Amino acid sequence: MKNKPILVITYSMIFVFVAMVCYVIYFMEFKAETVIANSRNIRQDSFSENVERGDIITTDGKVIATSKTDEEGNTTRSYPYGNTFAHVTGYDKYGKSGLELEGNFYMLRSHINIFEKTIKELKEEKNRGDNVITTVDYDLQTAAYNAMGYCEGAVIAIEPSTGKIRVMLSKPDYNPNEIDYIWNYMQTEEGQSSTIMLNRATQGLYAPGSTFKVMTMLEYIRENPDTYDNYSYDCYGEEIFTGVSIHCNDDTAHYTESLRDSLAYSCNVSFANIGSELDYGQFRTSMDGMLFNSELPYDGDYVKSSFEIDESSRDDELPQTVIGQGNTQITPLHNAMIMCAIANGGVLMKPYLIERIENDDGGTVQRFKSKSYGELLSSDEAEVLTDYMSSVCEYGTASSYFYGSSYKVAGKTGTAEYDNEGNCNSWFVGFSNPENPDLVVCVVVEDYNTYGVSGTWVAKQVFDAYYSHK
Amino acid sequence: MLNIICQVSKYLILIFMVLYTVKCFSILLSTDEKDRKKKLNKQIVYVFIIHFLCYLTMYLRQGSVKLLIFYAVQIFVAVIYMVVFHSIYKESSRLLTNNTAFLLLIGYTMLTRLDYSMAIKQFIFATIALFITAFIPYIMSRWKNLRNMGVFYGIAGIFLLLTVFIPGLGYESYGSRNWIKIGSLSLQPMEFVKILFVFFVACMLVRANTLGDIMVNAIISAIFMLVLVLEKDLGAAVIFYITYVCMVYLATSRPIFLIGGIGLGVGAVIAAATLFKDTLFYHVMVRVEAWKDPFKFIDTGGYQVSQSLFAIGTGGYAGTGLYMGKADYIPVSESDFIFSAICEEMGVIFGLCLILVMLSVYISFANIAMKVRQPFYKYAAFGYSILFIIQTLLNLGGVTKFIPSTGVTLPLVSYGVSSVTSTLVIFAIIQGVYVIHNKEVIKHEKEKERLRKQQAALNAGAGIPG
Repeated sequence: MKNKPILVITYSMIFVFVAMVCYVIYFMEFKAETVIANSRNIRQDSFSENVERGDIITTDGKVIATSKTDEEGNTTRSYPYGNTFAHVTGYDKYGKSGLELEGNFYMLRSHINIFEKTIKELKEEKNRGDNVITTVDYDLQTAAYNAMGYCEGAVIAIEPSTGKIRVMLSKPDYNPNEIDYIWNYMQTEEGQSSTIMLNRATQGLYAPGSTFKVMTMLEYIRENPDTYDNYSYDCYGEEIFTGVSIHCNDDTAHYTESLRDSLAYSCNVSFANIGSELDYGQFRTSMDGMLFNSELPYDGDYVKSSFEIDESSRDDELPQTVIGQGNTQITPLHNAMIMCAIANGGVLMKPYLIERIENDDGGTVQRFKSKSYGELLSSDEAEVLTDYMSSVCEYGTASSYFYGSSYKVAGKTGTAEYDNEGNCNSWFVGFSNPENPDLVVCVVVEDYNTYGVSGTWVAKQVFDAYYSHK
Repeated sequence: MLNIICQVSKYLILIFMVLYTVKCFSILLSTDEKDRKKKLNKQIVYVFIIHFLCYLTMYLRQGSVKLLIFYAVQIFVAVIYMVVFHSIYKESSRLLTNNTAFLLLIGYTMLTRLDYSMAIKQFIFATIALFITAFIPYIMSRWKNLRNMGVFYGIAGIFLLLTVFIPGLGYESYGSRNWIKIGSLSLQPMEFVKILFVFFVACMLVRANTLGDIMVNAIISAIFMLVLVLEKDLGAAVIFYITYVCMVYLATSRPIFLIGGIGLGVGAVIAAATLFKDTLFYHVMVRVEAWKDPFKFIDTGGYQVSQSLFAIGTGGYAGTGLYMGKADYIPVSESDFIFSAICEEMGVIFGLCLILVMLSVYISFANIAMKVRQPFYKYAAFGYSILFIIQTLLNLGGVTKFIPSTGVTLPLVSYGVSSVTSTLVIFAIIQGVYVIHNKEVIKHEKEKERLRKQQAALNAGAGIPG
């Protein structure tokens, strides 16, 4: 009798079931680790019963967070470098923060070999959890920490070709070894107004000041792709635009200058002039494309930056905005990300802090690959901006800092006033080796007038550290 | 020490599970009678080892003596079943009895871990069902009228399905009105109606000579599915529909019925999903959304699947070991999501093997359907194979996020009085078909033998040299 239909259906079923088996294996191999790291997976909480929390180690091998278990089985967490890595590691109690939170799941999993596991189980000892290897570099972080000294502010350094975060520093900070004391302090009236636990690098909103001129210039280039090179302006140190008076720093007159010179000397008047020619709607679209007012491709906690100009804006809002005052607010992380995109030919690599997961024997359990977020600007635009920003460090506002350095830098300085009394924050954002960019550094130092430490000087210390051991 | 024993047991269970699965397929492929017998006996040994190690682990973890008693009773019933069934029906399939016992025992084990009282209840009902369904092959081989009762199956089936709409008797659960409650016993009429449905379709197809006959058959079958859709039991409607299409394809041997059937089904689902997406199909749309990204809807429609994937992923290939995971946190882990619980604590390797064992059961069903010559039995056997495998596919695919979840049980493993009883009836009917077929073959052989002897005697008498 006719059995062909049964055969057809049976082969189809075998195919579907084999596909399902393959799917489950695929899930286990490629999806499961991410899925089970979900904070809603209640199984995570019970891991610590059998596993001693793993370490956090810098990319150059320094242990910055570790666990010790005493004879009674009580585990304590310690941070050998105290304040230096406070905002990188975060803390392990009170809801956790930083890498202690982001890497929690991995540090509570143990991938040591079965032989060792069995012995530990025989002895009824806890297994050693996996270690989180962070992208942060000990030497660079320490250099940034020392350079900042007593100043408040933030430093973030990112490798533009990969998105690896090499420095993440925020001051003021705290000693994570004393988290119990600090947590109690934070509950007091005095503590509630303290910002020591705020990671300014990712959550601090600042006016971008003159660093924003890079964005204004980008927009000008976009709107005048054929003629921007012919731009010329006569600066007399002061000018009134739509009723708003704009001064250059110390009312210095720059006289006749090109677009390149305007950026190099950070000429406010010239940029206000550029701003008066821009299309508001297009400016808004461009800035939204640069991730203002939107989510950033970053896994940790951060705050969104804001840029408020649009078609309905009044003309008198623009002169301040284009020179980075006005209502624009940006985090050091975001400013660094924009610079990363410029340094990487327009393509932004997603910044990340966890490089890989190792078991206690040093074997790699999981490696996190660089991920491209996409193109923020064209490679031609990136090339022009890089070229012009090189001039900033060659003969412009940052040249005195980098004079005689073994490396070249392209970047932009900034002084952003935050009140009407002339108090300001000092910015630097830029990258070294413009031909083949190595490292993006973004610094903001608060109260420049009080301490006299400039962002550019701090950035230089980080670049120096980078090239001294290279 | 205790830990070590449990750990070693865990890996031994995995090894024997792999061996059992391999045997399932090698028995299917084996043609040598002696070889088959040896392998079947080995399979029984594996079942005992796996089951023993599971209960040993659970006893060590819980230290409760009632587990040991329960274990002994289970093994006793399993042995009686495997030995007695085959000695009564010498022509029955031993591979099928092995698999029946094995799947039931795995179900009892996991249920014991999750909820002891449910395991006891499942065991009692399954044992009663095993006893009663043991008569099915006997009844089938005596009662030849089975194939002439198509009208009865149709009417009884639709009537039974409609009972869920009787106020006070039927009730709704998880968005589908497909349960009835008699005293303290909750039943899903659909589980029994599917048996009647296959018989009904088989009867009609045997008699169908014209396109008109097929049309009448199609209309009545459509009523079944329409009632299921009204009950919002889409999983069951899908099972019925695919079974129906496959049976028509078998009866007609024309691929157009398969292709057309699938096309019509997909079209109907899309049309229904767009027309009734806020009413009748609302909870279906929720499940489809949850399937696309369960973690996005973790607090609503995606909760079950998210928890299931957490369990499977965290347990890993080797599993946490019984009682060492959090399988009891998976929603409805005792019935629809029992596979996730098994994966978490007994390991994904065990789960993968279970998927393949289920497939092998289907292949053995299809094998029987291919051998059988009488159309009615052939269609019925094939229909039941499809019922079984589609239900398995919907369950396993749903809990692993391979396909959207439809809320059906895993045959014989999941908790559910109606589910386990109806599956045992189906297994018994397949055994019945196989017994009838084998008896016929034997009769045929004997007839042939007799004729040959007669011929030989005739030849000898005529003096022709043999």
